[in-house]
Amino acid sequence: MDGIHDLGGRQGFGPIAVTHDDPAFPTEWEGRLYAISQTVGPEDMTIDWFRNLVELLEPKTYLTEPYFQKWLMVLLTSMVRSGMITKAEALGHGAESHAPPPPAQTVEELLAADQTHNTDFSRPIDTAPAYAIGQSVHTKRDMAACHTRLPLYARGRRGTVIAHHGAHVFPDANARGQEVAQHLYTVAFAATELWGDEGAPGDSVTLDLWESYFVRS
Amino acid sequence: MSSFDPKKAAHVHRELHSHLPSDPALRVKALESLVVERGFVSADTLTAWVEAYSEHIGPKRGALVVARAWRDAAFKARLLEDAAEAIKEFGFEGNATGHLKAVENTETQHHVVVCTLCSCYPFSILGMSPAWYKSAEYRARTVREPRNVLAEFGVDLAPDVKVRVWDSTAELRYLVIPQRPEGTDGWDEARLASLVTRNSMIGTDRDLTAGSG
Repeated sequence: MDGIHDLGGRQGFGPIAVTHDDPAFPTEWEGRLYAISQTVGPEDMTIDWFRNLVELLEPKTYLTEPYFQKWLMVLLTSMVRSGMITKAEALGHGAESHAPPPPAQTVEELLAADQTHNTDFSRPIDTAPAYAIGQSVHTKRDMAACHTRLPLYARGRRGTVIAHHGAHVFPDANARGQEVAQHLYTVAFAATELWGDEGAPGDSVTLDLWESYFVRS
Repeated sequence: MSSFDPKKAAHVHRELHSHLPSDPALRVKALESLVVERGFVSADTLTAWVEAYSEHIGPKRGALVVARAWRDAAFKARLLEDAAEAIKEFGFEGNATGHLKAVENTETQHHVVVCTLCSCYPFSILGMSPAWYKSAEYRARTVREPRNVLAEFGVDLAPDVKVRVWDSTAELRYLVIPQRPEGTDGWDEARLASLVTRNSMIGTDRDLTAGSG
């Protein structure tokens, strides 16, 4: 999706608000919202549908809302769309039904649970990889998908495969609730290939890209 | 069940957003009341999640991993080979580190990590990401002008140092192994770990010093 979220290389942004040490949650609401996001949501949510939902916020909303407010919008919209809650409930008009919550979990239980969240996105695949390490690849210029992980700045460019990771879940399909395995590669692009004379010779940018992002040669 | 319908989701987004209160804290308070009253989660569980990420899961974990890599060549080899497996030696595997990759800075190579499309971050070893990592400024500029971005962080690059930017576009997550500072021979793991800054593991800090150990 060619949305405002695809920020790599966009110009006009000012200095970075550099910090070296930060509390985990600078405000209380950020902690509560992150905690809710770890525990509540539609059961069939996929990581890519979640990302796509963030991308579907209006550009002005995307650029101005605090980071975790975008997550709040995604939670609300996905719960409304899946029937978990009503629109009135999402707007804070009160719960329309009540149920006792599950037993509270302790910090130790949650730390153990978090250890199991190292989700494996690799999948078996029958086809051999089309590209090998060291091989040159050419990315597609146009993407039809509504959700994709090939950013605009790396489209229609030539890079070199520096790693092959077997097959991983393909995000463009996963964002529609369909699981498809596709070979995944790390590709290095010369800064000069991406940015012309602006790029420093010797500098590079790497991206992790799926096989169908490349033009077959 | 989700419908995975982008047009309908965008419609609900607009409808809800135009009616929500403007105060972020109020919105979250209302959401928390709702999910607790509906019985989706206990408020005490939410408090425990906040504590887990405030007190236990954070950049101190990554610093210990780096310190061990500095002291133990065999561990470093395992970390560079498969970081997702290597961090299990500490029990640090978890959220977003199922496909962790470690990249090592050298005298002539600097690595820096970004996520231009969202804000992917290796939570289980670095904890919550700083605000700047999620900012439009960092995400837009780092791939295009990494040297200017690094200068804003106070990173002074020698002319012969090459920069590689890792844009986290898949489920791989990246951990930068900074160079071990001079004058730290014989230091134990904990003392070495105290020198490793969070930003150095993202790549927005480079020259660590023994001064603070």
